[in-house]
Amino acid sequence: MHLPSWNVLIQVAVIGILTGGVYALMATGLTLIFGVMRVINIAHGAFLILSAYISYWMFTAYGLDPFLSVIVSVPLLFVIGLIFQRYVLSRVQGDPGLGVLLTFAMALTLEGLMGSLWESTGRSVRTAYTSNVFVIELSDITLRLPWVRVGGLVAAVIALLSIFLILSRTNLGRAIRATIQNRSAAQLMGVNVERVQAMTFGISLGTVAAGGAMFSLIWTFNSGSHEEWISKMLSIIVLGGMGSLPGAFLAAIIMGLAESVAAVVMSSYLSPIVFYLILFITLIFRPQGLLGVKVREE
Amino acid sequence: MKSNFWKLMISIVLVSLLITACGGQAATEAPAPVEPAAPAEEPAEEPTEAPMEEPAGPITIGASLPLTGRMSEPGTAAKQGYEVWAAFVNANGGILGRQVELTIIDNASDQDTAVADYEKLITVDEVDFVVGPFSSFLVIPTSEVAARYGYAFVEPAGGAPDVFNRGLTNIFFAQPAPGDEQAIPFTDFVIALPDDTRPTTFAVVSQDDPFTIGVMDGVKDALTAAGIELVFDEIYAPETTDFSAIAIQVADLDPDLIVGGTQLEDTIGQIRAYQDAGYQPRLAFFTTGPSLPGPFREGVGEATEGVFAAISWFPEAEEYQNADMVAGYLEMFGGEMGDIPEDVANAFTVGQVLQQGVEAVGSVDNAALIEELHQGTYQTVVGPLSFNELGQPQGTFMLLQWQGDTFAIVGPGERARAEPIVPKPSW
Repeated sequence: MHLPSWNVLIQVAVIGILTGGVYALMATGLTLIFGVMRVINIAHGAFLILSAYISYWMFTAYGLDPFLSVIVSVPLLFVIGLIFQRYVLSRVQGDPGLGVLLTFAMALTLEGLMGSLWESTGRSVRTAYTSNVFVIELSDITLRLPWVRVGGLVAAVIALLSIFLILSRTNLGRAIRATIQNRSAAQLMGVNVERVQAMTFGISLGTVAAGGAMFSLIWTFNSGSHEEWISKMLSIIVLGGMGSLPGAFLAAIIMGLAESVAAVVMSSYLSPIVFYLILFITLIFRPQGLLGVKVREE
Repeated sequence: MKSNFWKLMISIVLVSLLITACGGQAATEAPAPVEPAAPAEEPAEEPTEAPMEEPAGPITIGASLPLTGRMSEPGTAAKQGYEVWAAFVNANGGILGRQVELTIIDNASDQDTAVADYEKLITVDEVDFVVGPFSSFLVIPTSEVAARYGYAFVEPAGGAPDVFNRGLTNIFFAQPAPGDEQAIPFTDFVIALPDDTRPTTFAVVSQDDPFTIGVMDGVKDALTAAGIELVFDEIYAPETTDFSAIAIQVADLDPDLIVGGTQLEDTIGQIRAYQDAGYQPRLAFFTTGPSLPGPFREGVGEATEGVFAAISWFPEAEEYQNADMVAGYLEMFGGEMGDIPEDVANAFTVGQVLQQGVEAVGSVDNAALIEELHQGTYQTVVGPLSFNELGQPQGTFMLLQWQGDTFAIVGPGERARAEPIVPKPSW
């Protein structure tokens, strides 16, 4: 353990928060799907990487910037989500174990598909502004904020605000929230739960498409990358409270921050441990996660 | 009481032994019924039951390679190298008048799978020879399998110290020098720089992998012995993708020289993070990424300029059969000459060593081949190769530096084709 200078510490903290914003965008859909369907979507990481590949492909083939290509990839993933939930996942409704198995199978299928389409070389999108940074001088501290990470955080905030508005202001949102709180009661009140679930899955994959676009700008990926990212996203939503959107956001920021700061205070090898320590301690005192609600399974 | 305790302990030990035994068996047998996703033709059924006669069929050669997973990039290149070699040999009369037949299995960059694959190749497929997988990580466990069955193990990419220090005599590393010596041309170059450009500080940022760690240990020993101060030394997990925290620390210390122990993806990740953090080293060296011209350029663009790496081979080299290999590769896989990965040449070298060894022995006897390979000198696309008693090759790597759209060989000595650029331009 060694204490770095304030300059370093503040810089990595700020980068950590920016990174956390992108994590939030990636993990939001996962917690939403769990909230509505009680299914852990193991394929979420694979959909994330698929979205990153779509951004990469549209960038290399048509020169389309990932910030613009989300106009294509978000609706595309939305439709894939609708279809996947409506025609595949709904068939194993009521058995969360089978749901996990099915989404795991989906993850492996996508991995194979992506591997054959794009080979397994590490890819990433390198735009003209990839290495541009905002430089902020505060007395003796210099902050260097990469454009792509700032853009990632802004995109995350926009996407999360839109979801928040959908959930709080629209009938669909009310139906989604009602289904999260009590599926049977919602059904009795006339909510078309099937439709709500399909829409939720669509929206969730839409957010992961936006996350994938940001991902492609910041990190390198290959068809097998989804494995480590799904575990990261799962940890985030468990810490935040399964099914809680604000919880996922908070936990994502905590993860970004913890990873980044621990990497300089301890070592980058040990940094994941810090997040898991926070996770364990939180779960001991709050088994439902930071902002989760206790649910009694009937 | 006491005797009961011991009975309990003994039964626990016995049960666990039984479980491990079953487990071990399961591990080796499990893959057998599953047909590997190999493009390979099944080893042509040898209907002749007479085992004493030298079979007239093809010479069968098996390998397990990381065609998927984190080492898929070089693994696939190695597969291409083996295939180019086999096609070349078969077009030129084969070995000892027999055609060569390859069986290549994907091990998904997984050690256990690779071990099971070689067990299967030797015991089920009964191949005549096995050749190595990509990188020390997989060579270390699989060479043990080959040793157990008395097979020679010529391998293209396992050069870490741990490959050679386990008392095995069947390993032959088909590159110009052991892995930990890979950076020697670079460290020699750095140490010989005049005072005004010679670095006084350096940082080492390496992936946790036997190959890269081996190279990094060599670099640290050589540079610190020459009075250059190591100011930062970090090892990260192989799956790391985000290097921003590391880069911010490196930028804060601002060492003259950055040495990255990397494969391709983390080379790109590191360089991008250094750019973000505003770190401008005067010299930069990365172990693997820069020698893969296409993907490296795509990943970092103009930031390639001035970056150093070591390389065992380049397409224009005037070495034995190199022109044939390059032509064969382009015919089979297309693309540009400059995009042929070095791993292709390393795998081709394995084939060349194997062929010349077998022809010297005059049969497919592995024991005789092992003895032969410890003595002979073989002409290869990376130059003449010979091996010491540990199977370490006796030569040196070349030093490359990116200049403009591609890299140039800048050392050592008379192998240089261009003048090195020092200090490195900004990235």
